[in-house]
Amino acid sequence: MSLQFSRLVFLATAVFFGLFFIWPISETLYGAFIGSDGKFTIDYIAEVFRNPLYVEGLWNSLQMGVWSTLLAALIAIPLAWMSDRFLFPGKFLLGALVLVPMVMPPFVGAIGIKQILGQQGALNALLEDIGLLDPAYPVDWLGEGRIWGVIVLNALHLYPILYLNVLAALANVDPAMEEAAENLGCTGFRKFRRVTLPLIMPGIFAGGTIVFIWSFTELGVPLMFDFTRVTSVQIFYGIKDIGGNPFPFALVVVLLCSTVLIYAASKFFFGRDSHAMMAKATSQGGPRQAGFAMGLVCSGLFGLVTFLAVLPHIGVIMVAFSTDWYQTILPGGWTLSHFESALGHNLTLPSIQNSLKYAGLATILDLFLGVAIAYVVVRTRLAGRQILDAMSMLPLAVPGLVLAFGYLAMTQEGKIFSFLNPTVDPLIILVIAYSVRRLPYVVRSAAAGFQQTSVTLEEAAQNLGCPPLRTLRRITLPLIAANLLAGGLLAFSFAMLEVSDSLILAQKQQDFPITKAIYELYQLLGEGRFVASALGVWAMAFLAVTIIGTSLILGKKLGAIFRA
Amino acid sequence: MIALTIEGLVKKFGDTVALDGISLRIEPGELFFLLGPSGCGKTTLLRNIAGFYIPDAGRILFGDEDVTKLPPHKRNTGMMFQSYALWPHMTVAKNVAFGLEERRIPAAEIRQRVHAALDSVQMGQYAERKIAQLSGGQQQRVALARALVIRPRCVLLDEPLSNLDARLRLEMRSEIRRVCKENGLTAIYVTHDQKEALSISDRMAVLEGGRIAQIGTPEQVYRRPRTRIVADFIGETNFLKGKMQSLDGRKACIETGEGIFEGFLGDPEWKPSKGDEVSLSIRPESWSLQTMPAPVNAVKGRIGESIYLGEVAQYRLQAAHHDLKIFELNPHISARGEGQEFFAVASADDVVVLKP
Repeated sequence: MSLQFSRLVFLATAVFFGLFFIWPISETLYGAFIGSDGKFTIDYIAEVFRNPLYVEGLWNSLQMGVWSTLLAALIAIPLAWMSDRFLFPGKFLLGALVLVPMVMPPFVGAIGIKQILGQQGALNALLEDIGLLDPAYPVDWLGEGRIWGVIVLNALHLYPILYLNVLAALANVDPAMEEAAENLGCTGFRKFRRVTLPLIMPGIFAGGTIVFIWSFTELGVPLMFDFTRVTSVQIFYGIKDIGGNPFPFALVVVLLCSTVLIYAASKFFFGRDSHAMMAKATSQGGPRQAGFAMGLVCSGLFGLVTFLAVLPHIGVIMVAFSTDWYQTILPGGWTLSHFESALGHNLTLPSIQNSLKYAGLATILDLFLGVAIAYVVVRTRLAGRQILDAMSMLPLAVPGLVLAFGYLAMTQEGKIFSFLNPTVDPLIILVIAYSVRRLPYVVRSAAAGFQQTSVTLEEAAQNLGCPPLRTLRRITLPLIAANLLAGGLLAFSFAMLEVSDSLILAQKQQDFPITKAIYELYQLLGEGRFVASALGVWAMAFLAVTIIGTSLILGKKLGAIFRA
Repeated sequence: MIALTIEGLVKKFGDTVALDGISLRIEPGELFFLLGPSGCGKTTLLRNIAGFYIPDAGRILFGDEDVTKLPPHKRNTGMMFQSYALWPHMTVAKNVAFGLEERRIPAAEIRQRVHAALDSVQMGQYAERKIAQLSGGQQQRVALARALVIRPRCVLLDEPLSNLDARLRLEMRSEIRRVCKENGLTAIYVTHDQKEALSISDRMAVLEGGRIAQIGTPEQVYRRPRTRIVADFIGETNFLKGKMQSLDGRKACIETGEGIFEGFLGDPEWKPSKGDEVSLSIRPESWSLQTMPAPVNAVKGRIGESIYLGEVAQYRLQAAHHDLKIFELNPHISARGEGQEFFAVASADDVVVLKP
């Protein structure tokens, strides 16, 4: 491609990033540090740390982030190790199913969890039936420990990201490294701890970072659990008076700074030295057939994790089909009427339409930007292309909540971007918000495609008279179509499930996407939770198909997309 | 058919000078080789001609047209890549048709020309195959057909045979020459394999550190190398150290530790004076072993090692100051026992005098 055109692409993508990534963050910083008199102040930030409610919220957020990440690692690492080492019965199917929870909206799952673990839920009913529990004194499983409900749900939702990263890292470990350890007398778990684990640490770090940032700032799940003493929810409630109140700004900035600090600290401790493999694997490792017992353990663990992870969603599905479910193990009766009333409700159909529209447009925007950025980064030698590359990965490190808040702040009345104000029409700002957050996945998959496609294939086309842009269309894009499809599908399904941007930016009923519609329906008295569940089931079925399809297309390469 | 002229071409990558003032002219219809060790700049030169690099200085002319700044897709060259660069998402026929489609040729003519091109490389029955279903040699033929079907102004071949096994290489190199000559194409062929260059080139340029060390026909380059590096790179040779005694035109008389030698200067512009240090290059097959001494161009030594290869034998002759490699055709090895003394004699015409 000509130099001028590359520069133009570079400039356009850089401007887009400046406007819709750096600007909203600056706008938030402005709100947090500039007082009503227009002077710099740190009073607002200081006040956050003086207010015990906010401090408790931050502490809870931190716990949520740390424990969710550890729990996710505890689930993901053994699974990845088994998948890397063994062939076991049902591996192909289980390997795909184990990824499904990633796209199951956890805040929909919260409805199911409450149905199962609530005071009048299925577990208590079961315990009462077998005489272990006095019906007069039901246990409130989610009462005091409701933060643990949030943590478990987060971990069960996010472990696939770590799983994919660790799997990719394990695939890169030269089997000779472990053979050398065995040869020197180090075997079993000791070998794993002393040789394998340090080698895959960068992979664990890469995935763990995303899981931490995600769960540290999770909004949907604590909201559904009515767990309000957590920073993300406090910000969400603070948005109502965004005009006059500086504290939401200060909270967002504290959240952002903590993320950056924790990221930097953990990078310093865990991600410091990525151990480059000295040579390509010399011996063919590859998984070997597991013995009967090991096979049973592997299949069993994969099955159990998948089951636990989808259990909340099974709960949701049952709620969606049940006539009544109160103080019983299973619903009192079955019905399809909720699906009908879900479709009949004036929130539902428009919300599906809206979500398809927002997510579809965002995906198209992502594909354009992703291909352009990946092209500049991989195929040109333009100065500054590494900065563009790093910038396109940043949305993974910045919490969605922070960005969503920034968009809201930059479109307030009196600001330059007030014409995009979501209370008028959230279409443009939501599409941009959705696409910025998912851009890293598309850039990564497109860049991987460019890297795998030898540049001589493009040179051959130009040599035969094909101009650069047409070469991109006739040769390169068809060759990387699978990567683009996978990246696009992923971007699309995550956009369909987006919580923070949707809850914060969609403010009028006719503009609600699916996630916000579910949230609103759930708030309704009466059959609200049944109808919300029915809508959730539609969304889940659709997304499960999408993610399984994607993982079949990409295989192990899927892991490379989820790296910070 | 066009001539190709390169004038003072310079290409730098950062501080590295890849091409350092290359000038040469390739005649219409010539099969011209660029030869040299890896890193000598031969592929860089080819990529400048194809337009993938823009030179820092100098000009490239196709006929009378200056193409130095023309982008690759407007140069109408047919390039064959080392990796073949066949597109895996297209069939054989689609690959070959691509260049014609870009030229907006009518569909019927495309079909006919693709058919003819594939037939000319014996790939007619594979037209609908996917690239992945072809062997290395078949892919090579398709790549050749794809480069030629557009009737390019010149053909650029970048180590086209390096991915093939030895037997196929022999077969394909005459095939490439046949196709180029039949179509009257000006062709530039990059290789590091001197056998390819010697066997099928009309002329060749040997590159060395971004400069041209020598241009000539295979026989000129082989028999009269101009530098030690050319002599060493093209074929095998023995170097003898000596001092200049006298010079008569190109014919020189040299004193070496093994005796007096007569030979011819490799570089006609070089004027060494009496007493200058020189190197003699004498090919292993130029020697003949005999039991009687000779007044000039003879080395006395003992057979150190002999390897019998049937049609030829290779000997190591240990002389006073040098170890010589000697090839003997139609050998009688039993008469050349280890430790036996012989005189190796070369004719003056086979002795090349070079800068040390």
